[in-house]
Amino acid sequence: MSKMTRRKSMEYIKKEYARTRTMPASWYLNSYKYKYNVTHMKPFLDKLKEGKLVGLQCSNCNRVSFPPKLVCGNCLIKPDRWVDLRETATIATYTITYLKDEATGKIIEKPIACIRQDGCDTTIITELAPEINYEDAYVGMPLKIHWADNLEGSLSDIKYYDVIDDKSKDMALREKK
Amino acid sequence: MEKVGIVGYYQVKLASDANYGRYEMIFEAVRGAIDHAGLKKKDITTVISATNDYYDGRTISNCFTVEVGGGYMADESKVEMDGAHAMLYGLMRILSGNHKLAVIWAGSMPSCFPYHSARLYETDPTWERPSALVTDISAGGFQMRAYMEKYGVSAEDIAKVVVKNKKNAAKNSLALPEAQMADITLSDVLNSEIFADPVTELMYAQPCDGVAALLLAPEHHALKITDKPVWITGVGWNQDPYYLGDRDLSRNKSMELAGKMAYDAASIKDPANEIDVAELSEAFAHEELIFAEALGLAEAGKASTLNSGIDGDIAINPSGGALGGNPPCATGLIRIIEAVKQLQGEANGYQVKNVKKAIASGQIGMCAQNNILYVLEGGGN
Ligand SMILES: [Zn+2]
Repeated sequence: MSKMTRRKSMEYIKKEYARTRTMPASWYLNSYKYKYNVTHMKPFLDKLKEGKLVGLQCSNCNRVSFPPKLVCGNCLIKPDRWVDLRETATIATYTITYLKDEATGKIIEKPIACIRQDGCDTTIITELAPEINYEDAYVGMPLKIHWADNLEGSLSDIKYYDVIDDKSKDMALREKK
Repeated sequence: MEKVGIVGYYQVKLASDANYGRYEMIFEAVRGAIDHAGLKKKDITTVISATNDYYDGRTISNCFTVEVGGGYMADESKVEMDGAHAMLYGLMRILSGNHKLAVIWAGSMPSCFPYHSARLYETDPTWERPSALVTDISAGGFQMRAYMEKYGVSAEDIAKVVVKNKKNAAKNSLALPEAQMADITLSDVLNSEIFADPVTELMYAQPCDGVAALLLAPEHHALKITDKPVWITGVGWNQDPYYLGDRDLSRNKSMELAGKMAYDAASIKDPANEIDVAELSEAFAHEELIFAEALGLAEAGKASTLNSGIDGDIAINPSGGALGGNPPCATGLIRIIEAVKQLQGEANGYQVKNVKKAIASGQIGMCAQNNILYVLEGGGN
């Protein structure tokens, strides 16, 4: 390839010999404290405690995010309009993971899904009801939120999603308890 | 834009557990590229690397690679992304008019750290990490299913990509030995261990140890170094949002926009007919199809019908692609090197005939959040 002289300096490196040792070491990154804003989350979490769902809408491009986003990437402004969302949703995509439980060594099958809440433009990554047979799941499958027994105003208030036959029965927004 | 040429390259043979220390592997790649071009240390004017502090187990990890990377008393900097992004930085340094020779090197050694745990630290610490639902693998499961269901593509169609790439890798002496599978069948792929349904083990580009290096020079200088430089005629890059819930995973918008930008620069109007070879960084087999569609090589949902073998209508990943070995941070740079070999007629064993234009891509992030695409021409072929 070259017009210039080839050098031979690589030759010694081709030889096979044990050229490494390993030294175990740790890197304590687990102790990091993450600071994050809650201003844009508070109304969302307060509504969850009431058993209601709200999305945050960008007043410039009208995109509704659920869960709420701090900043609209499209417009570089803070979305500030809260909109009520229905309890119904749709599977956007899903997968089944197989993770080894470190304690028992057992493989745990864990289906997870990206779910689009009706009335918003983003999806939330969460779980489906344990009784759902994943062989029957499909993209576009209609769902309805299954609330936790005790609402605490956190994301865990959304326990998982149940499959429903017909979304039209769930058109009304949830009444205040 | 002034022409910038690729004038040398070197890739260390990939290994799942390499008998190398980090510095010696970097040295072999950088010294190998300098020797390949017949140059000396004093010819280097700028050095750009791509590694990751977490993967290296050190902060500001490039401060340790000054000597082995060629950066001793030289203009030096690092990109914490793929080597293809480091090349972008190097390209800009050359275009500034201040530099005659840029060394770009990239790579890491996942045999030294828990790769998937490191990728878990890529997820959002407040939203996603506590539930641990999203990992690099489950994200690929979401993406593959979204693509399959949108276009009615079957798992067999995606397994065909694996068969093609692993067979290609068997012809590439620098590919990962475990990924060189000359006799692989569709059922081997479909029946391999399931990672995140529908992704199986063989559909996933296995992380491995490896470093690659490449040299850039401005036109007048490139022609002094070699008779057949490969010219960068277009580059485009783009970034999707991080959160998977914000994205349509059945397509790749950032690759579409990166492709448009690179094609505009290189005046490519009809990519499917103008491009002879595509080396695309696919972290999963289905990403090769999504990228081929994003880059106009096939219509949406139709990439699985392409004849993309080495002797096909358009050769995609004749080197085996990332499925032939995926050294984090080096994978995209290796795709560029493979495209350069094709243009120079030096891809021994997997050379595509009559290559005039090639594209090569690098990616970073969950479900290929960030993509960069190069259009390469020349090479004397
Ligand atoms: Zn907006």
